[in-house]
Amino acid sequence: MIGKNRRKLSVASAVIAAGSLLLTAMPAQAAEPGLTASSIKLGITIPMTGIASPGYNKIPGAMKAYFEYVNANGGVNGRKITLVVKDDQYIPTLAVAKANELILKDKVFALIGTLGTASNKAIARSAQLKTRGIPALFVNTGFSGFADKKAYPTSFSLLPSYQMEAKVIGKYLDENFAGKKVALLYQDDDFGVDALNGFKQAKIDFAIKIPYASGSQGVAGVAGTWITKLQAAAPDVVVLFGVSSATAAALGNAYAYKYAPKWILGSVGGDAVTLAANKVPPVFLAGAKGLSFAPSPADATDEYIKMFMDVNATYNKGVAFDNNIVAGMTSAFLAVQAIKSAGPNLTRKGLIAAIEKNGATFANPGLTPLGFSSTSHVGATGYWIGTYDTSGALKPDGGKYTVYTTDSGNGPVVLSTYKRPAMPAKGLPN
Amino acid sequence: MHNLKASNISRFFGFILFGVILLIVGNSVDELRVYQGATVAMYVVAISSIILLTGYSGQVSLGHGALLAVGGYGAALLRNNFNAPVWLCFAGAVLLAALWGALLGATAARLSGPYLAGTTLALAVGLPSIANQFKFLGGEQGLIFDIGLPPASLGEMFSLYKWFFWIASLAALISMWWLQNLLRSRYGRVWRAIRTQSIAAELAGIHVARSKILAFTVSAGLAGLAGALLSMTISTVSPGAFPLTLSFALATGAVISGVTTLGGVIIGAVTLVAIPEIADSIAHRIGASENVTNNLPGLLVSGLLILTVLFVPNGPVEQMKHRKKVHI
Repeated sequence: MIGKNRRKLSVASAVIAAGSLLLTAMPAQAAEPGLTASSIKLGITIPMTGIASPGYNKIPGAMKAYFEYVNANGGVNGRKITLVVKDDQYIPTLAVAKANELILKDKVFALIGTLGTASNKAIARSAQLKTRGIPALFVNTGFSGFADKKAYPTSFSLLPSYQMEAKVIGKYLDENFAGKKVALLYQDDDFGVDALNGFKQAKIDFAIKIPYASGSQGVAGVAGTWITKLQAAAPDVVVLFGVSSATAAALGNAYAYKYAPKWILGSVGGDAVTLAANKVPPVFLAGAKGLSFAPSPADATDEYIKMFMDVNATYNKGVAFDNNIVAGMTSAFLAVQAIKSAGPNLTRKGLIAAIEKNGATFANPGLTPLGFSSTSHVGATGYWIGTYDTSGALKPDGGKYTVYTTDSGNGPVVLSTYKRPAMPAKGLPN
Repeated sequence: MHNLKASNISRFFGFILFGVILLIVGNSVDELRVYQGATVAMYVVAISSIILLTGYSGQVSLGHGALLAVGGYGAALLRNNFNAPVWLCFAGAVLLAALWGALLGATAARLSGPYLAGTTLALAVGLPSIANQFKFLGGEQGLIFDIGLPPASLGEMFSLYKWFFWIASLAALISMWWLQNLLRSRYGRVWRAIRTQSIAAELAGIHVARSKILAFTVSAGLAGLAGALLSMTISTVSPGAFPLTLSFALATGAVISGVTTLGGVIIGAVTLVAIPEIADSIAHRIGASENVTNNLPGLLVSGLLILTVLFVPNGPVEQMKHRKKVHI
C-alpha cells in the first residue's frame, strides 16, 4: 500500500516538474534578438547584493541614467536603449544562470559590464558567447586573458590589466622614491601574480613582500600581523595591491597601531566608497596615492564629469556621485558610441566589427589611449597617479593629470601624449 | 519476498518512464528551460546526498558545498590533464569526493550535533579557498571544464544545453534509482536504526562508527557527482562557485524536500531553481524597487523554509503519506 502511494507521489512530482518546465512556451525567434527599429535591449549581471556588492551595485543605475539621458534626446540612430539588470552575488554559477536568463528569456542584444574574472570566464564559455556571437561589452575585470581574441572573440574589456597597473606603479616608484625602502602587500593568487610580473618588469626591489591568501584578510588578527611585519621592516612606501576588504583591513589596523607610512593603493582596492562600506572612513585615505584611468569624480572642470554629474542629478536622483558612477556611465557612453558607429543596420556582428575598426577613436572620458583594434579587445592602456583628499576623492597632483601608458607585455611605460577627443555636443551621440 | 521483488521491478520501470518523460519534455521546451532542467537535476543529486546523510544516518552537514567543490575540481583536472572521457570524469569525481568523505567521515563519526555542524561548516569556508593556494587549481579564476560538443550523431540542432540536460538527468536518475535500492537494503536499515536510537543499534550488533563513515562516504560521492554536474553547467570550476550560500541552499532544499524521505527531493530542487525566477516576475509585475527586487528571492526562500518547519516539519511528501496512513 505504501509502495503504491509512493509511486503515485513520484508520478505526481514528475508531473509537477514537467509542468513547471513547460510553463513558458517558446516565442518566435527574431532575426537579431533584442533589437527593433526603435529599441535596443542590453543586459547586465553584477553583484547587487552580497559581500562584493558595495560600490559595484551603483554601476547599473549609472548606466541606466546615461541611457535614459540619451533616450530622452532621441536615442541612438533612432533606437532607445533599455538595460535589464540581474543580481549574481559574485557567484559564477549564478552569473551563468542570470546571463542565460538575459540571453534566452529577456533576449538581450548584448551583455554589458559583467563583473568578475571567474564569472566572466564562466559566462563566455557556458553561455557560448563565441558560437552565438553575443557581444560582451566592457567586462569589468583586469584579467589579461580577455585580450585573447581567439578564446573570447566577442568580449571587450575597458579596465587596464593588473600587469599594466603594476608597471605604472613601478615607474612612479622609480621616479619618486628611488633608493627608498618599498613594501608590497598582495593577494597570493593570479591577481597578485599578474601584479608581481608587472613589478618585476619595472625592476622594483621590495624590502618586504607580504602575500595574503584570498579570504584570510577577514580572519581576526591576520591583518594585524601585516602591520607588525611592516613596522619591523620600516619601509618608506607601502603598496597595497589587494581587494577592497584587504585594503580596508590593512588601513584600519594601521590606524589602530598608529602606523602611517606613505600608502599607494591599487585601483581594485582603492575605491573610497567601497572602503567606507568596509568601515574605513574616507579620512584614513587622505594623503595616500591612488590610480585611475578616468577623470577624478571630484573634477567638475572636466566636461565629461560635469555632464555625468548633471545626468546623475536628473536621472539617478539621490545617488551620490562617485567613482562607480563614473565607471558605469563611461561604459554606457562607450556602448552608445559603439552602437552609433555600427550604423542604422545594427547587427551583433556589425557592433563587434565597429569596435574593432573604430574603437580606438571613440569619444570617451578615459584619459588614456583606447587599445581597441582588430587584434586587441583591451580598452584603457594606462593610469594617472594622484592623491586622495580627506573626502576620499582621488585628485590629480598639482591639478594636472600625468598619464602613463603601457601594455600587458614587455613594452615600456611612457608618459602619454594622448589627446582625448573632444566630447560630442551635450555628450550625446550626434 | 515476492512482493518486494515486484515493487523493485515496478520502481525500475517507474524510473525509466520518468526518463522518457524527461526526454519528451527536454525536446519540447526552450533552451532556458533545458538549462534550468540540468540545474534541477544537479540539485536533485546534491540534495539527495544531504537527505541520505542527515535524514537516514542522522549526521548533519552544513558544508556540502566543499564536497561539491572536490568533485568539480576532480572532474576538471581529469578532463584537462588526462583528456579523460566525460563519463570517466564523472566517475572520478564520485570516487575522489567519496575518498574525502571517508576521511571526513572518520572524523565526523567522533562528533555529533553542533560540533559536527561546526566542523563541516569550517570545511565549506576553508576548502574552496585552498584552490587559491595551488597553481594547478587555477586560483580565483578557476579551471575550465569543457565536456565538449554533443556527439554529431544527435544532429546539428542538438544544443549544448540539451546535452547538459541529458547527462545531468541520466546521472540523477541512475543515482536516485541506486540510492532507493541502497536505502531499502541492509545498509539503509542499519542507518535508520542508528538515526533512531544509536545505543539500541549498537546493542543489536551494529558497528555504529563504521556505518556512519560509510554513510558519509556514500553521501560525499553523490555530492562529488553533483559538483561535477554543477561545473559542467557553468563550463568552469572556481572557488567562487562553491560559496557558503551554496551549502546553505542545499540544506534549505533538503528541509523543503523533507529530510527523512527521498521522495520529495524534486520539490526542493525545483524550488531552488524556480524561486529566483518567480521572485523576478513578481517584482516585475508589481514594479518593485531595486531593493525589493534584489532581496525578494532570499525572502521567499526563508519564508518557505519557516513555513515548512512550522507546518510540514518532515517535508510535504512525508506529511501526505502520514495523512493517508491515518485515513486508512
